[in-house]
Amino acid sequence: MRMRTLLALLLAAPLAVPAEPFTPKSDTETVQRLPYRMDAAERTRRAALVRDPAQLPLALAAARAALDRARVLGDPRELGAAQAALGPWWTLADAPPEAQLLRARVLQARHEFDTAQTQLRGLLARQDLAPELRAQALLDSAALHQLRAELSQARALCEQLQPLAPLPATACLAELDSLTGKAPAAAQALARLSPGRSVLPWLALMRAELAERMGDAAALGLYRQALAGADEVYTRAALADWLLAQGRHAEALALTAGSDADALLLRHVIALHRLGREAAAPTARLRDSLAAADKREPGKHAREQARFALDVANQPREALRLAQANWAMQREPADAVLLLRAAQAAGRDGETARRELARFVRAHGWQDARLAALDRSLNS
Amino acid sequence: MIRALILLLFCTGAWAHQSSDAYLRYRVDGTNVEQRLDVALRDLDRDLGLDADGDGTLSWGEVRTRWGDVERLASNGVRFTVDGAACQPTGADTPQLDEHSDGMHAVLVTRWQCPAPAQALTIDYRLFAATDASHRALARIVGTAGEPLVLVPGAGPQTLSASGAGLAGFVVEGMAHIAAGLDHLLFLATLVLVAVWQRNGAGWAPRASGRSAFVETLKLVTAFTVAHSITLGLAAAGVIDPSTRWTESLIALTVLLAALDNIRPFMPGPRWAMVGLFGLVHGVGFAGPLKDLGLRGSELLLPLLGFNVGVELGQLAAVALLLPPALWLRGRTAYRRWIVPGASAAVAALATLWLAERSLALQLLP
Repeated sequence: MRMRTLLALLLAAPLAVPAEPFTPKSDTETVQRLPYRMDAAERTRRAALVRDPAQLPLALAAARAALDRARVLGDPRELGAAQAALGPWWTLADAPPEAQLLRARVLQARHEFDTAQTQLRGLLARQDLAPELRAQALLDSAALHQLRAELSQARALCEQLQPLAPLPATACLAELDSLTGKAPAAAQALARLSPGRSVLPWLALMRAELAERMGDAAALGLYRQALAGADEVYTRAALADWLLAQGRHAEALALTAGSDADALLLRHVIALHRLGREAAAPTARLRDSLAAADKREPGKHAREQARFALDVANQPREALRLAQANWAMQREPADAVLLLRAAQAAGRDGETARRELARFVRAHGWQDARLAALDRSLNS
Repeated sequence: MIRALILLLFCTGAWAHQSSDAYLRYRVDGTNVEQRLDVALRDLDRDLGLDADGDGTLSWGEVRTRWGDVERLASNGVRFTVDGAACQPTGADTPQLDEHSDGMHAVLVTRWQCPAPAQALTIDYRLFAATDASHRALARIVGTAGEPLVLVPGAGPQTLSASGAGLAGFVVEGMAHIAAGLDHLLFLATLVLVAVWQRNGAGWAPRASGRSAFVETLKLVTAFTVAHSITLGLAAAGVIDPSTRWTESLIALTVLLAALDNIRPFMPGPRWAMVGLFGLVHGVGFAGPLKDLGLRGSELLLPLLGFNVGVELGQLAAVALLLPPALWLRGRTAYRRWIVPGASAAVAALATLWLAERSLALQLLP
């Protein structure tokens, strides 16, 4: 190559002006899109809490609203807002039970599972706990156990739940059955819980996930039903994953477009890559965001990081390391699928992880069409 | 999953958008301190209700007309002292905005006169302590190396030191940067391989004296240094700002061309000219860590000098390791037949992969 050509190439590199503070030219210029509109009730509540933060009912309502938004928008800022609302009770050992319950939920959402479980255990040990709060605490605690594949502990809690809240208790036990070798019966039991046309969104989500584990295409309709009932980041991401797994990348792309939540941005970027589309900018944004999240809460975002390493960055060994770190933290079926995929992608380096996971899956009698499709020896 | 049952929460919450960060930047000049606080409009809206028409977006008018409240919130939320004494406000800039990774931030610049020269600032940070427990501020003094200080709202006063700013920190950063940059090191190694030779028509011949090889190496290193210092300075100052993808791709290209030129010389002109031209590209690549510090004008001088010295020291260490064996082997058949072509071909192959990866944004290498 000639020097001149090289020089031309060098000079052709885009010369951009670095970002500097600026003053918008017009008052009508939009400078920030807000993630949600605050309603009048919320404004009043906030104003009252600013005057006196120690008003329990108001603080609980604010924390609940923030946790709801965290679920719908996938925005960790809201977890900080929930914690702040609970501020006066955050470190109190004998905080009111409602505050303790919400405290545990904030902790769980931040993946501080052990601390959350300890708080719930303390709460359940209280004799004077109101039945509806006991029901909530039992359910939360069972969810934490299930999250870590401690299914017998989860079952014990859901059995205690039965007299207090029959519907969720039955659903919980069916879910646990489905994970221990009784998937078809569990699917029928869950279907019986929603005989009418309208299905509760959470029940639809539960059935969708079970259908996905059974390799049943009914998962699609159930996911859509769940999403129509409650448009939450978790549900949207789960449906996107199902579409990606089916090779329906364009649909996954459309489903995840225009969201600020990292979970959805991740699926969006994966879809772009699989479709061979230009993905440099969103990939860079996602990479930055995952790095920022990991800096804030080291090790807590291994699931998304592993997924990124495996499906976007094409770094199988790094993906395996992260998937193993995630498996040490949470053990839902989706985590097992991620670990197995990473282990297979890592080739010989993943041999041990693969064997250990296979042993775990067999010992626990997990049935999952996705695992079986990846490794025929897991076909039970 | 049972958590589907729980009507509240659990999108595995910590998926992150991003938690809330504010940025605090102090510019210290003797007893004068300038504070710049960048705080997200979203956070300000939550506490102040900026969205007057409730349409879910903030217009500049909605922000501008409430700027007084924003300033009050900021001045209550951020206080600093020097040697235990408060400073007197001497002025503030007009309302401005700046874009950050999580959205638009309000930029509040205030100037202060302190009773004593500010060696260290003690900051009492309380912004959003009552409304977002996970909010943090990242504070730094302009011209200091290293990571910013993380301020937790309401956690009590924390001290940000202006000393330790000095040259040494930047020298270390410069050395670390070159040690971590395999592409820069391979480029140097590629040059040293044949610095002990001279062009002979369409091929290479060993230099007769060690002295002449030494002079050639000196020429190359000087050309590289002068060239990359120029672009490093320009890029760090923000005069030029090519995209990282372009820069990184071009760096890979320079490594590839240098390696191919080793195998069969084809670049016109003396080698130092090629090295100088390529050095311009590498300099832009060196600037990354400095660009983020937001230095301007004369403040850049010291960090730039320190950083560049660090880069040079790193380079010299690499050359000092490679040159003696090259000198010793330069006349051997094995060196001519195997070592130089083999090593150069390996470098060329790696550089080709880099070039493909970087220009097409692929990931080919583990």
